[in-house]
Amino acid sequence: MTVFLQSVISGILVGGIYALIGIGLTIIFGVMRVINFAHGELMMLGMYATWIVFTMLGLDPFVSIVLVAPLLFLWGAFLQKVFINRVLNALPQNQILLTIGLGLVMSNTVMLIFTSDYRILTTSYSSSSYTLGEISISQPLLFAFLITAAITAALYWFLLKTDTGQAIRATAQDRDAAQLMGINVRAMSVLAFGIGAALSGTAGALISPTYYIFPQVGSAFTLKAFVIVVLGGMGSVVGATLGGVLVGLTESLAAVYVASGLKELVVFVAFLAVLLFKPSGLLGKTRA
Amino acid sequence: MDLRSLGGRGQRGFGIVGILLVLVAIALLAVFPQFVKKPYVLHMGVVLFLAIIQGQAWNVVGGYAGQYSVGHAAYFGIGAYTTMMLLEMYKIPPWWGIWAAIANAVILSLVIGSITFRLRGPYFVLASISVAEIIRLAALHFRGLTRGAEGFLLSEIPALTIGDLSIEFYTKRPFYYAALALAALTIAANWLVQHSKLGYYFQAIREDQDAAHSLGINLPVYKNVALAISAALTAWAGGFYAMFVKFIDPNTVFGLDVSVQIVLICIIGGIGTIIGPVIGAMVLVPLSEVLRNPKGLVQLGLLPQDSALVAFIEARFANAHLLVYGILVVVVILFAPDGVLGVIRKATARVRRRAGAAGEPATAG
Repeated sequence: MTVFLQSVISGILVGGIYALIGIGLTIIFGVMRVINFAHGELMMLGMYATWIVFTMLGLDPFVSIVLVAPLLFLWGAFLQKVFINRVLNALPQNQILLTIGLGLVMSNTVMLIFTSDYRILTTSYSSSSYTLGEISISQPLLFAFLITAAITAALYWFLLKTDTGQAIRATAQDRDAAQLMGINVRAMSVLAFGIGAALSGTAGALISPTYYIFPQVGSAFTLKAFVIVVLGGMGSVVGATLGGVLVGLTESLAAVYVASGLKELVVFVAFLAVLLFKPSGLLGKTRA
Repeated sequence: MDLRSLGGRGQRGFGIVGILLVLVAIALLAVFPQFVKKPYVLHMGVVLFLAIIQGQAWNVVGGYAGQYSVGHAAYFGIGAYTTMMLLEMYKIPPWWGIWAAIANAVILSLVIGSITFRLRGPYFVLASISVAEIIRLAALHFRGLTRGAEGFLLSEIPALTIGDLSIEFYTKRPFYYAALALAALTIAANWLVQHSKLGYYFQAIREDQDAAHSLGINLPVYKNVALAISAALTAWAGGFYAMFVKFIDPNTVFGLDVSVQIVLICIIGGIGTIIGPVIGAMVLVPLSEVLRNPKGLVQLGLLPQDSALVAFIEARFANAHLLVYGILVVVVILFAPDGVLGVIRKATARVRRRAGAAGEPATAG
């Protein structure tokens, strides 16, 4: 029972961070109908940015979010304006290939600059944990989860209550209709990609105290982000939040009850099953 | 010479000229090692032919049938592992083992196809990636069967005896000829597919699945046939790769990078044509090989032994050779969605228009 509770708790904590990555991807997909295969690489850039400010300025990774998030927002907005914007009406395959190419450029450029060595960001609390009865909760993961929850709440408020947020949601619902209503859909696309990149970079900053930092770390997270987004229904922010927690839980339980080497395999098998039997996602609203 | 006769998307003729040209090219490449004996050049040739085989193989399902699989590492890896394991564990020489590898890949493709072909567009792409990832993770985990991350190191390929002739696989030369032959056969297979009823079915599926279906083309069957052919050829490349490189592990043969590289060869050259993957391989292989192993330039005598450039590339690019792939694919998708072949076609069309306008003003209009 303790083992079960323990893995449920760590699954939820990690799942919160996964959710952040998934929400970024789903916002981008919702607004542009583009599947961003460079999403994990944006997270990787966030990790490196965090690592740089940590080693050079000694800034705590959780504090560095205030620098990393805006930085990644600008980078995402730039990528959208210069590259993604040109393929919005192209074949989906070409959009996928373009983002794969951008991802390769990002990861290999980082490798050029920082080599492929693994970096570790060790904070004073990296390996400390709180104990609650027989259950121990990793301190950095708990901090990361709380920050994730705060950011997600702020994002919900932004999307639901502000004019800009509503404009983004309107664009996601129907691009043409939104344009007819006077919404600047081009600006919304840039904004959405920027937000998506910023969320992904923030997730990178949040996991940097507990994860190895290396140039190819992104692709595993890109795949995870797709699983999350498809599970929750493409384009649904609530779905991605739940999907993230679900993937975190599945991984953590599979690691204990199946085999730690097979936790990702279990996630992919579940993903295929959902794709085949419930392609509209677990929440079930069908979108063409 | 009309480039369109080399098997265009619009015009399906490969033409007598095209066939002759290919035969001449193969003959030239066959006598090539008589004049150039530098191992680096032959090595580059083998890598180039291997890329052509991979590209042509993907072309069948991705180019003709329009099903963008980004999971071809599954078939490549199965080909590599089957051939390698049969040789290392049961001493079965690769020229027999490769058939088992192909059979495995075809069976695997039928399983994967029957699952993933129910999905379309981006969902199909995601499913194909996740199937390949499942296989990679399984290969890493089930050490009893695959030795996990440790991988397989080739001990020795036995000599191949045909009549009185005995071929030893110590130098690059036998690999060069074998790769050339395999590449030629793969191109021939592609040509046969393109010029058969199958090819028409595949292209009908690519252009409009629903229309093809309503015309009586059984979508799941023909998509699976396309994938099976593609998987067989990819496994072929995989088995050859294992014998040539002499070391395989799950990440190098089942990795997502492998799948992406296979797709990019076609995208950069031009999809759905026979010459496209050849062009793509000719563009990509030299670039990435030079970045991966710049010492080759010294061997060729192009750069001095103590060249600072070589040292720089070696220190920095050795792992980052995929940068070229990334930059090229971004440029191609944005500026030349039909690949290098598309650019060549547009250029020749422009030249011909100009020549036509100058030469025969009376009929130009």
